[in-house]
Amino acid sequence: MNEPAASPILRASGLSIHFGALRAVDDVSFDVPRGGITSIIGPNGAGKSTLFNLLSGSLKPSAGAVRFDGTDITALPPARRLRRGLARSFQITNLFFELPVRENLRLACQYYEPRVKLWLPVARNTRAADRTEQLLESFGLGKRAATPAGALSHGEQRRLEIAVTLASQPKLLLLDEPTQGMSHGDTADTEKLIAALARDTTVLLIEHDVDLVMGLSNRVIVMAQGRKLTEGTPAQVRGNAEVQAAYFGDKP
Amino acid sequence: MADAAGRVIRRTEYILLAATAILFVVGLMAGDTFFFRLATESLIFGGLALAVDLLLGIVGLLSLGQALYFGFGAYVSALLLKEVAPSFWLATGAVLAASAVVGYLSSFIALRSKGVYFALITFGLAQVAAKTVYNTRELGASDGIIGIPIVVIGTPFGGLDTANAPVFFLVTLGVIALLYGLTKYLLATPMGGIWHAVRANEARLPFIGFDTLGPKRAAFTLAAMIAAVSGALYPMLRGFVSPELLYFSTSGNAVVTVVLGGVGTLIGPLFGSALLTGLRSVIGTWTEHHQILIGLIFVAVVVLAPRGIVGIAIERAKRRAGEQI
Ligand SMILES: Nc1ncnc2c1ncn2[C@@H]1O[C@H](COP(=O)(O)OP(=O)(O)OP(=O)(O)O)[C@@H](O)[C@H]1O
Ligand SMILES: [Mg+2]
Repeated sequence: MNEPAASPILRASGLSIHFGALRAVDDVSFDVPRGGITSIIGPNGAGKSTLFNLLSGSLKPSAGAVRFDGTDITALPPARRLRRGLARSFQITNLFFELPVRENLRLACQYYEPRVKLWLPVARNTRAADRTEQLLESFGLGKRAATPAGALSHGEQRRLEIAVTLASQPKLLLLDEPTQGMSHGDTADTEKLIAALARDTTVLLIEHDVDLVMGLSNRVIVMAQGRKLTEGTPAQVRGNAEVQAAYFGDKP
Repeated sequence: MADAAGRVIRRTEYILLAATAILFVVGLMAGDTFFFRLATESLIFGGLALAVDLLLGIVGLLSLGQALYFGFGAYVSALLLKEVAPSFWLATGAVLAASAVVGYLSSFIALRSKGVYFALITFGLAQVAAKTVYNTRELGASDGIIGIPIVVIGTPFGGLDTANAPVFFLVTLGVIALLYGLTKYLLATPMGGIWHAVRANEARLPFIGFDTLGPKRAAFTLAAMIAAVSGALYPMLRGFVSPELLYFSTSGNAVVTVVLGGVGTLIGPLFGSALLTGLRSVIGTWTEHHQILIGLIFVAVVVLAPRGIVGIAIERAKRRAGEQI
């Protein structure tokens, strides 16, 4: 049973994890409302990616809980979270580099097929195949379909990273600095893409580019040194004195 | 798999098949039994190498103890043939079923770890099994099991006498071809894709919805079954089994065969097995120390052509086709 539309798609309560003495994520709580884009900003080492690791199941929190779409998923492994509709991309491109682009996508699209079809020829998995071709097309990777992912340009790899994450049409999409290292043109394209994605799904975005975040997001969460500093609408966050000092301090 | 690779593998299959057909006719005309028995042996150990390649070349798991399953198949087959009934179908059927169970259960131990530790655990498991067999009187201890009766394979078209070298060669060819065909089929399914993906980047798979332990377990079990069924044919060829079948030399030779033939190509290991078996037999006629020469060849291949024979051919074809390697 889904909860009513007004309930948040994701709720993090008191999430914490420490590595030795370092409190990488320290008692962080927030809601992600359904639809639109919620962004997480914060300086290097603030704990943003570590927070994603807790949300996606890469790491188990030492305290706190994650509720997704009405259920507690704190104990679920990553594969089960994905099958419930929570997908993530990686800040450092994380693909099957030796495998062709098409195969990278096809594996991600296998999500659409029943388990028994794992043992039938690839050609019989038509829904996955159709979805793969669709993604190749819409991400402009059609010409590169037979190329190993590792041989793509950086920008293409970043695009494939998003395409692979999107393949399962998740309810909540966690994007970790999707524009990292991209050219200006690619960044602008990706910005448009994210805005388009947010029409059908909920996006939780980690992004360094503050202007991009402020223009794109419905809500912004600010992190520093493992803690949530504040959250609110882009305008509220900009106006926050603490944030001004900690994050926009170097900006007039 | 990319097109160029597929073409090279197809071509290697044809070449092997044609060479087999020609040598078969030549052997028949020469009336040479020794040659057929040698070719049969190369197929049997080719089956073991195929199992190693499935794990190493596809899933990225280096098994240093695949002889455990090969030896298991050989001993179970030998015992059934000798003590129960000299039936090919009973022996291979029982080995198939038993190795599925043994392979699946031992995967729980072997797959607890990755990389070097996986290699060490498979090595250790095989050593324990070899020592146990070596010290078990009921299994013939160091002598193994001898006096395995001649098997006549019952088929709808009449009996096939395994003592007839050319006939048993064809039977073995059929079995190994089936194992090869099954493996190749599986590689063309999404499960095969997951196996490749485990080798490419296991950590990413959970984030596209796949737990990796299950698929690894499936591959491990399948590799145990392939090795065991190959081993089941051994006592039919030689009339005996001995603990050496489980020793590290057997597992190690299989790895050498895979590397020489071409890791991850499946057909390469069969090719490599034919080459190595032939080479060992030729060198064996003029020196006792053929293992030294095999060792030197292995070092040369690893240094000069780490992708093996079929691997080199694939690389060249890709370069010619302008594909990225
Ligand atoms: N597995 C780990 N073991 C030890 N320390 C870790 C681990 N993962 C992250 N850290 C540390 O935790 C802190 C937070 O790292 P994290 O990657 O979450 O920051 P971030 O906000 O994503 O930074 P960036 O903007 O640079 O990506 C850093 O000091 C980092 O070195
Ligand atoms: Mg980060």
